[in-house]
Amino acid sequence: MAVTIRDEGSLSAPEATRLMAAVAANRDRVAFAALFGFYAPRLKAFLKRSGMTPSAAEDVVQETMLLVWKKASYFDPARAGVSTWIFTIARNARIDRLRRESRPAVIAEAFDPSDQPDAPVSGEQAIIAVEREDRVREALDLLPREQADILKMSFFGEVTQSEIADAIGIPLGTVKSRVRLALGRLRQILDDLK
Amino acid sequence: MIKHHPSDETLFRYANGSLESGPRIVVAVHVGACTACAERIAGFEALGGSLLHDIEPEDMEAGALDHVMAMIDTGEAGRGKAAPAQRLPRADVGIRLPEVLDDCGIGPWRWIGPGVRWSRVTLPDDDSANVMLLKVVAGRKLPEHTHAGYEYTHILKGAFSDARGRYGPGDLDEADDDVQHQPIVDKDGECICIAALEGQMKLSGFFGRLIQPLFGG
Ligand SMILES: [Zn+2]
Repeated sequence: MAVTIRDEGSLSAPEATRLMAAVAANRDRVAFAALFGFYAPRLKAFLKRSGMTPSAAEDVVQETMLLVWKKASYFDPARAGVSTWIFTIARNARIDRLRRESRPAVIAEAFDPSDQPDAPVSGEQAIIAVEREDRVREALDLLPREQADILKMSFFGEVTQSEIADAIGIPLGTVKSRVRLALGRLRQILDDLK
Repeated sequence: MIKHHPSDETLFRYANGSLESGPRIVVAVHVGACTACAERIAGFEALGGSLLHDIEPEDMEAGALDHVMAMIDTGEAGRGKAAPAQRLPRADVGIRLPEVLDDCGIGPWRWIGPGVRWSRVTLPDDDSANVMLLKVVAGRKLPEHTHAGYEYTHILKGAFSDARGRYGPGDLDEADDDVQHQPIVDKDGECICIAALEGQMKLSGFFGRLIQPLFGG
């Protein structure tokens, strides 16, 4: 079947949650196409920044979106936003692929903590989950620019800490302590959510 | 009450997927028992979510969506849970192991030194990871040793102490090569831990290193 992809320049968190619910409950392909239209090009950019070749990134994006379809009923808006949930699926698909490349004999799926049964979520936790992505954005804005930048670079793992040190022209120890500081600040801001 | 947690850097690497599979499973065991760390990882994962949401998109190849739709149609859903790898053998190690280890192979206890036994933990997705259970009898004092690289140890039962403090059930000890310690297991009972080393050392080298301090060689 031919599905046209809408150009998804933006997608709000509530809209993404609604689309996921439609995929989970009704196996809604139009909703899935809308999610694909927004997330697939962003996943591709994300995976390339994490060091994958364009064609490997393309593969992992398709694999990730297939898993989004298959695992839709596991998505729980009380635990994570759609972007965060899709990020964790892509992360695990990437780990899986890198491991398969280095150890082709092993065929089991990558360990995926999101497949583990979870304890019930309290109402309070549910509110936190919805707000978390926004709070993280605010937290990044609150961090000194150089800490936020190093945190982002480290997250993608596009470069090693010594490469960051070389690029910015500061000692490796300074990069390490900046990352540590930034993580501490981020954690503090997130802890304050509670 | 959990007192010792993985560092922020370790939780961050867990969240962004760069932590190796051995340490990753040990941290997962800890996170399964520690809501504080589960929350922190959720926060770092939300950082991943917001970076993904805000990143400048790159065009997918033409027909990518059709391709995924076709895979959905044929139910050719890749290597799904439908065809699980054969179950790895699991020895009874005398305690109930955390659920995240359900798919792991568990070897029988083997003697590696006076009062110390180990059991090999095999990950279903990476049989090269150095993960093991360690069981040390009550009151046993291990010789002073340092670590070659990072070592992650989560305490499942009992407790040990060293100059840095006391480590009990639910605690995760993250020791790097700067740590020189001489752990002593509590007198009132044996201590069982799950431990992983960072790095893909050969198993024999790992054993050599483990056994060496035990025999004072
Ligand atoms: Zn913890």
